[in-house]
Amino acid sequence: MKFIVLAYIDPGLGALLWQTIVAAFVGLLFYLKKTRQWIVDSVLKLFGRRRDAKATPVGPKAARKESKIEVP
Amino acid sequence: MAPVSPSFRDPAGRCFIFHQRVLRFVTTDALAAFEQFLQSDCARRSLAQQKLAGTRRLNDAEAAQLRENPELRSIWDEPSLGAVFEHERLSFRSYPHEWPPEMLWAAGALTLDLGRAALSEGFGLKDATPHNILFRGSEPVFIDALSFEPRHPADPIWLPEAQFIRTFLLPLLAQHRWGIPLADVFTTHRDGLEPEAVYRLCGPLEKFTPRMLALVSIPTWLSRKSARNEARLYRPRRLANAEKARFILESLFRRLERALRALEPAKHRDSTWSNYMSRHSYDEPAFAAKEKFVAEVLREFQPARVLDAGANTGHFSALAAETGAEVVAVDADAACVGAIWRRACEKKLNILPLVVNLARPSPALGWRYGECPSFLERAAGAFDGVLMLAVIHHLLVTERIPLEEILRLVGELTRSWVVLEWIEPEDEMFRHLTRGRDSLHASLTVSVFERACSACFDIVRSLPLPGTQRRMYCLKRKDRGR
Repeated sequence: MKFIVLAYIDPGLGALLWQTIVAAFVGLLFYLKKTRQWIVDSVLKLFGRRRDAKATPVGPKAARKESKIEVP
Repeated sequence: MAPVSPSFRDPAGRCFIFHQRVLRFVTTDALAAFEQFLQSDCARRSLAQQKLAGTRRLNDAEAAQLRENPELRSIWDEPSLGAVFEHERLSFRSYPHEWPPEMLWAAGALTLDLGRAALSEGFGLKDATPHNILFRGSEPVFIDALSFEPRHPADPIWLPEAQFIRTFLLPLLAQHRWGIPLADVFTTHRDGLEPEAVYRLCGPLEKFTPRMLALVSIPTWLSRKSARNEARLYRPRRLANAEKARFILESLFRRLERALRALEPAKHRDSTWSNYMSRHSYDEPAFAAKEKFVAEVLREFQPARVLDAGANTGHFSALAAETGAEVVAVDADAACVGAIWRRACEKKLNILPLVVNLARPSPALGWRYGECPSFLERAAGAFDGVLMLAVIHHLLVTERIPLEEILRLVGELTRSWVVLEWIEPEDEMFRHLTRGRDSLHASLTVSVFERACSACFDIVRSLPLPGTQRRMYCLKRKDRGR
């Protein structure tokens, strides 16, 4: 895809600089969020394995629980 | 001579209104990206939801027909011309200087909604101005499809953010905080309010409130400091991680949505005229007779388009819209017009409410007065019928407009009929407006009014409203050999 810069409007000066500063800060949050996600995923994976190893819940209650998770 | 383009700033193309058609000439450079956007899911979805004005490329035969027109010759001869598109024409154009805050707010919400939706498909808005929006009745419609362009996936900056703040957030903030009318902002400032201008209005402590810090104070302080590194600031930024760029942009749109939500106009804004319907001088039978008179005229003439001049909170605009007419409701009071907009949205009525004072209607604005034509230019002969209910005494007394002049204007606005409520000088509200200057208007009797009408209109029928000094008239425009 070709990216032609046709943004002809005045991007401001202070407002653009402020957007850039906030973007840098939000960029840090992105890595924090990623790290947190990685930790949560790893922990869940670990517990998930153990839970699997113990016993798989069966019966209508478990089915209801499962369907609740699947419904968006 | 080529028609004056109301939209020419975008180097990707120009827009012309040519014999009631909206034509967009797109340059060769921008054509592929524009067509790509029109094929995208977000464009198709927005078109289906009528959030984006209908757009189609003219076929060769249609283009050849246009090419023969000498008025468009100079545009066709431009070497950069790629293709011509035609947009859906919305019946009555309106501009931000005629909107109540509610409509500017809705236009801002639509801009963010479309801008954010386009991001997921690799497109972005290259500008964010209320001039990209028109209203179909009370619904905002994004009219400038050429504003969408492909975005680099690793670009974390949305350049039009400052324009969005200048043209949506700061005018709404100035209106909310200091009561500055949007008309005052947009008639004199095409591109809204600069943070520096709002900063000057803030008190010493107010500059440090969270809202002012983010939208006004920090951008103002930074603009003073950053002049040295300007060139570096405007260099395009590309991150190594496109997911991170998307995360940053999503966060930016969420912040702007929060800021806009915080500036949503209050539901019940009080003004001099906003409570008129609950404390007007009619008793029940008089108001019922007035309502019946208007309803009968609407039923008889079945108008397609009606202008309600001095609409107040839109009771009679709603009556006209319910009969199937497309209504433009104008009033000088922005709080009343905001109330009409809410009523039209709630009841899904085809009413376009505008803040317009007939005695000082919106002027033509912009380059060679071609960008925003005046209200009267747009309204002349645009309506099958005009409602002028309980408004003539304001023009006669407060504005000191001669009776003959008022009737001449109404004759220019309507193609067919007028429903006019005549208020005699003895009426309580009339005397309230004269403030002791009763002798100035003592000669305005019913017979004087009827004689003045005869220059432009035939009186179809009239009805005195019981228990009042008011009389309803249905006037039919005299055929001037058209």
